[in-house]
Amino acid sequence: MQQKNLSIMHPRPSSIVAALYTLRDLNVEVAILHGPPGCSFKHARLLEEDGIRVVTTALDENGFVFGGHDRLVDMLQKVEERFSPKRIGVVGTCVSMIIGEELHEAVMEANLDAPVIEVEVHAGYNDNTKGVLFALESALDVGIIDRQEFERQQHLLNEATNVEKKYGAASKEYLEPSRGDVKYTVAKRVIEMLKAGKKGICILNAKKETAYMFADITVALQEVAEKLGVEDNIVNFANLDTGLGLPRVRQHAEHILADMHDNVKIDEIIGGLDEYPIAGQQVRQLIEAKYKDFDFAVIAGVPHAIPMESLEGMELISITNGPRQVHPLKDMGHEHVLVEIDLHPKTLGVTNIVESEFGATVRQLAREE
Amino acid sequence: MNPQKRIAIYGKGGIGKSSTASNVAAACADEGYNVMIIGCDPKSDSSITLLGGKRIPTILDLLREGMEIEEEGDVVFEGYKAVKCVEVGGPEPGIGCAGRGIIVAIQKLKKISQSMKEMDLIIYDVPGDIVCGGFVAPIRKGLVNEAYVLTSGEYMPLYAANNICKGLSRINTKLSGVICNSRSVSREKEIVSKFANEIGSELVAFIPKEQIVQDCERDGYSVLEKAGGTDIAEVYRALARNIMSSDCAVDPRALTDERLRELTR
Ligand code: SF4
Repeated sequence: MQQKNLSIMHPRPSSIVAALYTLRDLNVEVAILHGPPGCSFKHARLLEEDGIRVVTTALDENGFVFGGHDRLVDMLQKVEERFSPKRIGVVGTCVSMIIGEELHEAVMEANLDAPVIEVEVHAGYNDNTKGVLFALESALDVGIIDRQEFERQQHLLNEATNVEKKYGAASKEYLEPSRGDVKYTVAKRVIEMLKAGKKGICILNAKKETAYMFADITVALQEVAEKLGVEDNIVNFANLDTGLGLPRVRQHAEHILADMHDNVKIDEIIGGLDEYPIAGQQVRQLIEAKYKDFDFAVIAGVPHAIPMESLEGMELISITNGPRQVHPLKDMGHEHVLVEIDLHPKTLGVTNIVESEFGATVRQLAREE
Repeated sequence: MNPQKRIAIYGKGGIGKSSTASNVAAACADEGYNVMIIGCDPKSDSSITLLGGKRIPTILDLLREGMEIEEEGDVVFEGYKAVKCVEVGGPEPGIGCAGRGIIVAIQKLKKISQSMKEMDLIIYDVPGDIVCGGFVAPIRKGLVNEAYVLTSGEYMPLYAANNICKGLSRINTKLSGVICNSRSVSREKEIVSKFANEIGSELVAFIPKEQIVQDCERDGYSVLEKAGGTDIAEVYRALARNIMSSDCAVDPRALTDERLRELTR
């Protein structure tokens, strides 16, 4: 027997939503939310921007009492008729799971041609990665991924959960959201260091589609360094391995690398876009072997997954998209912490690098030099 | 080896499901079978007579306290003749959701229990009438493949039994037989036999009403353990043999309320 973890007071990402994102990464074309019409509304909309349709069985008070089996069967058939998707997902919600709805029975009854990934999930898990895991388990069952990929994902999820518990949004009972430091001030400091001939590592350690914006920071620093004639003082790390991850995730890496053209040279690939929780180990080894004497590091994406020991002696500039990540990063010893507000909505549905505020600020300052 | 039997016993609250379940478990253990009993009633009295009157911690007790149940030793306890006992438990009356409790506990159990796979017989003692999704979770989660209905010859238990048949056909589960736990009402055996036949099943046991069952229960023992030489112990043995050997189950056809009233009139 083991005692449970600390309780968290601030809202956490939802397992239902995590399941929806995973279905998208599995190239599901339509996801059916089996539950109340308003459930996960904002993310459902965002996902639609990203090309997956999200529909709901819209259970009402009657559905809560009498069950929603028939509605789900109906909806499955409607979805097939209207969209003829090649792959469908059905996702539970708190409501349908509490009343004991059986997604599988409805799927059997609807008897569709396309494979259906059933995810029995609700929002009552402390680790939202549960939603991902359930979706992957079900994808394994219907043969959409193989056991090897499943185990790889499972390992990554465990690591992601550990990182969040140690240094992330699940590390403290309550975390004050913050906008972080002012970008202008930090951009100035970066240019100052470059001008002083200091050597910096630019680390992109981003989670999946968020990389479309975080990668802009790598690009901006490259541009500025070139302008100042110190491009040799910067090395670029990025978790942009195109051979790893679920189909959609590999594509993101390809798109980003293509968009960097020949302008930016990635010196070190530190894993795939789903390997942000474990890329830190790679970073540590690389730094120990080759880059020990560097003066500063700019880390974008999930900076808290990079072990602090490996960054010892460097001035740290970190860019996250989570307002609740600012305080934990400061506590870890990151001098400058920046937040790219609204990053996620801007990176859904894109196939090109998206300008970041910090990137724009550094560029502008360099222009004014 | 014979395929594993996984049965659930349904019936109106208070009709004697738990004592029937535990006596059947004990009788099967006597015959040398590996048996597990999983009590799903919040009273958690399915296993108490197999454990000499001791109460065991329930799965939901531990979950409520926030324990990560990892070890079998946490929730699976050995009782009379090595019968494995598990109690699901439930929330306080009037608080929370008992149906959800069963779903959660059953999923947990499925995940952690190794010994379940080695059983010849697993008995689910399910609470009351089929009332919500949670109460049929053991079946729906693929843990039960045969159901028995327990009733007496009175109208209310028969009404509940009939409702349960409706529920079973809704969830595509076969009925393996009707058990009568007698309340000594007139023409009882005839009424229950008829009911069983009309729904398409049969009466597989008639358990007479005898004080000895109550007495053993009060002392915290099964009839098989404390009064193994009695006629009623023989009835339980026969039922146990019947359950272990039965292979004919039917899709029950529930009766109309009118027909049910006629039967008991
Ligand atoms: S409580 Fe659960 S089902 Fe209801 S809206 Fe929130 S996440 Fe959805």
